[in-house]
Amino acid sequence: MSRGLGPPALAVALLAYPFVDRALGLQTVHAVSDGMIYTLLALGLNIVVGYAGLLDLGYAAFFAIGAYAMGLLNSPVLGSPLYGHAWSFWVCIWVAAAVSALLGVVIGAPTLRVRGDYLAIITLGFGEIIPVAIRNLGDVTIELGGWRPIERLNLTGGENGVNPVGRPHLPGVPFETDPVPWYFLILVIGAASVWAMNRLRDSRLGRAWMAIREDETAADCTGVNPVSTKLLAFALGASFSGFAGSVYAAKLQAITPGAFEFQVSIMLLCMVVLGGAGSIRGVVLGAMLITVFDRVVLSQTTFLVRAIGRTVGVPALASIDLTLWRWFFFGLGLVLVMLLRPQGLAGRRVQPIAGADDLDEPAAPEAPPPARIEAIPAWLRERVASGPVGHGAAILDVRGVTKAFGGVVALNAVDLVVPRGGIIGLIGPNGAGKTTFFNVVTGLVRPDDGRITFAGASLVGLRPNAIVARGIARTFQSIRLFAHMTVRDNVLVGEHCRLAASVAGAVLRPPRVRAEEARARERARELLAFVGLSGKDEELARNLPYGDQRRLEIARALATEPRLLLLDEPTAGMNPRESETLTDLIGLLRRELSLSILLIEHDMEVVMRVSDRITVLDYGTRIAEGTPGEIQRHPRVIEAYLGTGVSQEPAVPGA
Amino acid sequence: MLQLADVHTYYGNIRALRGLSLSVERGEIVTLIGGNGAGKTTTLRTILGLVRPRRGSVSFNGARVDTLATDRIVRLGIAQSPEGRHIFPRMSVLENLELGAFARRDRDGIAPDLERVLSLFPRLRERLAQKGGTLSGGEQQMLAISRALMARPGLLLLDEPSMGLSPILVETIFRIIQDINRQGTTILLVEQNARMALRVAHRGYVIQTGRIVLHDAAAELLRSDLVRKTYLGEK
Repeated sequence: MSRGLGPPALAVALLAYPFVDRALGLQTVHAVSDGMIYTLLALGLNIVVGYAGLLDLGYAAFFAIGAYAMGLLNSPVLGSPLYGHAWSFWVCIWVAAAVSALLGVVIGAPTLRVRGDYLAIITLGFGEIIPVAIRNLGDVTIELGGWRPIERLNLTGGENGVNPVGRPHLPGVPFETDPVPWYFLILVIGAASVWAMNRLRDSRLGRAWMAIREDETAADCTGVNPVSTKLLAFALGASFSGFAGSVYAAKLQAITPGAFEFQVSIMLLCMVVLGGAGSIRGVVLGAMLITVFDRVVLSQTTFLVRAIGRTVGVPALASIDLTLWRWFFFGLGLVLVMLLRPQGLAGRRVQPIAGADDLDEPAAPEAPPPARIEAIPAWLRERVASGPVGHGAAILDVRGVTKAFGGVVALNAVDLVVPRGGIIGLIGPNGAGKTTFFNVVTGLVRPDDGRITFAGASLVGLRPNAIVARGIARTFQSIRLFAHMTVRDNVLVGEHCRLAASVAGAVLRPPRVRAEEARARERARELLAFVGLSGKDEELARNLPYGDQRRLEIARALATEPRLLLLDEPTAGMNPRESETLTDLIGLLRRELSLSILLIEHDMEVVMRVSDRITVLDYGTRIAEGTPGEIQRHPRVIEAYLGTGVSQEPAVPGA
Repeated sequence: MLQLADVHTYYGNIRALRGLSLSVERGEIVTLIGGNGAGKTTTLRTILGLVRPRRGSVSFNGARVDTLATDRIVRLGIAQSPEGRHIFPRMSVLENLELGAFARRDRDGIAPDLERVLSLFPRLRERLAQKGGTLSGGEQQMLAISRALMARPGLLLLDEPSMGLSPILVETIFRIIQDINRQGTTILLVEQNARMALRVAHRGYVIQTGRIVLHDAAAELLRSDLVRKTYLGEK
């Protein structure tokens, strides 16, 4: 996990530990094995909370589902036909993981519309329902008018739980009598899980989770399907707890509903937060610290304090039980970590937030590098320019689009056509509906009425990410990058919808996936060079100066390989120099890539210079359409929008 | 009225301000112009105590303020319209405006001031009951400026007030800036639109990589080669 001597030393330590323990007579292997099971659970929860940013307060429910799946399949309580076979355990752990994953999807599906606090409350409810259901399914009788198809069926063992549970069998390995084989079994499962999670995190899927966590709307508009991405996080997180639960059931030989209460969910969440949400190393550290503290340190300290109490003759100390204080210590530890190191023990340190624009830019701060034709990545040229649309046809054709929010009509029967390879300016007073128009075209807002046709096919009703896949990309008026992801990862999320790696592909990395990922990174590098962000790949997006953030947003949009680019006030907050560079970039994209562009902009120098035609909105209605020259002379546009033109005059020295 | 002397401000290890000095006299409009990343917003954040200078001092009306909490500084009579439109998205436009007057003692003066900002921005009057977050970007910008005006500050800090506004509103905004200045409010104006800013300002400072590199009367700055080439986009 860390560089240098770390991994081999860690491996040796993990392999030698049980024998050292035995030689010293410490008898901590049981506790440490349990700790590793909780670590596995915490790692699963980390996918949901740390990566996808979905606060889950009822995660222990999946632990229960895994444990009971193993219990019911591999126990004589229900008369399971699998019980007693040598191979049962090895099959059942996979079944338990699959059942947990399936329930993860079932439970995840209805919660996907909600976020934040609401999602947390729903998972809290689910976490309460499962133990209650388990308690009450120990004696099921169904009666239908005197007929009892099911009578006194013991589905879960009720309050007594399931006992016994079948153990794993391997020739010559004493799982019955010795904790050491369990330790190694759990170690293998844990190591495989960490390995798989590391690979998932550095894949297309891991980036999609983090993008959802950072900004779901922006992720959607960058081609990441939030529904399937979140469901996948739920399912994978649940499957890891399915493994953990099934091993736990077999190791303990008995499971009771009390082992899966709300407190367990909270403890798991503590492990994730303590270590640092999103960091595998941190979560392992947090989980091991908490379990070892709970299972070893507290009990050993209790013995110690009692011995001292007896020696000095203080009865209160001699009979103390520190394990009763565990929640006190957990609480105290969490408070301290949050105050002193809010990113967790191993979380990535985040720099204090700079002002929207102010960070040091030592090299030539006043002159952003101009875009050069040679720097246009060849693949982009190839992919973008090779659209299936016939020359001269409209790439975007919007007819009669209407949208009202409550009583306010934001768009009123608006028509707008973007010809292939054209640049259309969209201007109008503040609040005229320009951004709403973008939101309608990109699928964020569904129009009440009207048609939107892109490259010959209707877009109405498509999800934003599907519209990105069709070839429309956008930037946002107030920059919406994935702030806590690196510059390179921001661009790679843009490529998401053009990549294909599945879960299996991301974990196993066959040559095809390796090649795809290498190509994606190379493309990201070229795109960053093209927009003038070379050498900043590893910086967090939030730490970039304002102008760089605007350029990164454009690079991210280009990474989706669009044929139509929607730019929402791209030069806002830029000085004339920077605006000019950006204007050149826009012209270059059209000239060299035949990229069609729809541009919202208040800087008239930019709009008039690059636009072929301009559409003017006021109060949601199109009040003018024409060439820049026509628009500049249009009386209604002057009255509603342009004004007398004082701000457009060149500076008069001495004025 | 406001004095910054040899101010050094850091974000972690990054030096954002490197010995910046400037002053604003009562009744003036002073503009601070510079590129992205030059330190303009950091200067405003330092004045308000949102970041602490590692070295140097900030004085307001002759007293040091660089150790005071932000809310204390605001109560001394400095208000800011922040860049990036930090309005309260789930409160109505009216509530946003009323909060601007939160620290004021002269209850009687609030109603006329509300009337004044609403006549400056008729668009806000149309939207008084709407939630701040449902306004368009430009409307949020108007709201942020209006909210700062509601504090009736002695010194008003404006961070890119023209950003995201239509050309006609840009003119209006600069006219409003001159109006409120004539009514007695001192203004420190940070702008990308250097041409308009220098037209309304009395004096100007040019900031590059955290230092003042040029300082003069606004009319002189409009004539200077550096400003014309770098900030006015002239060839």
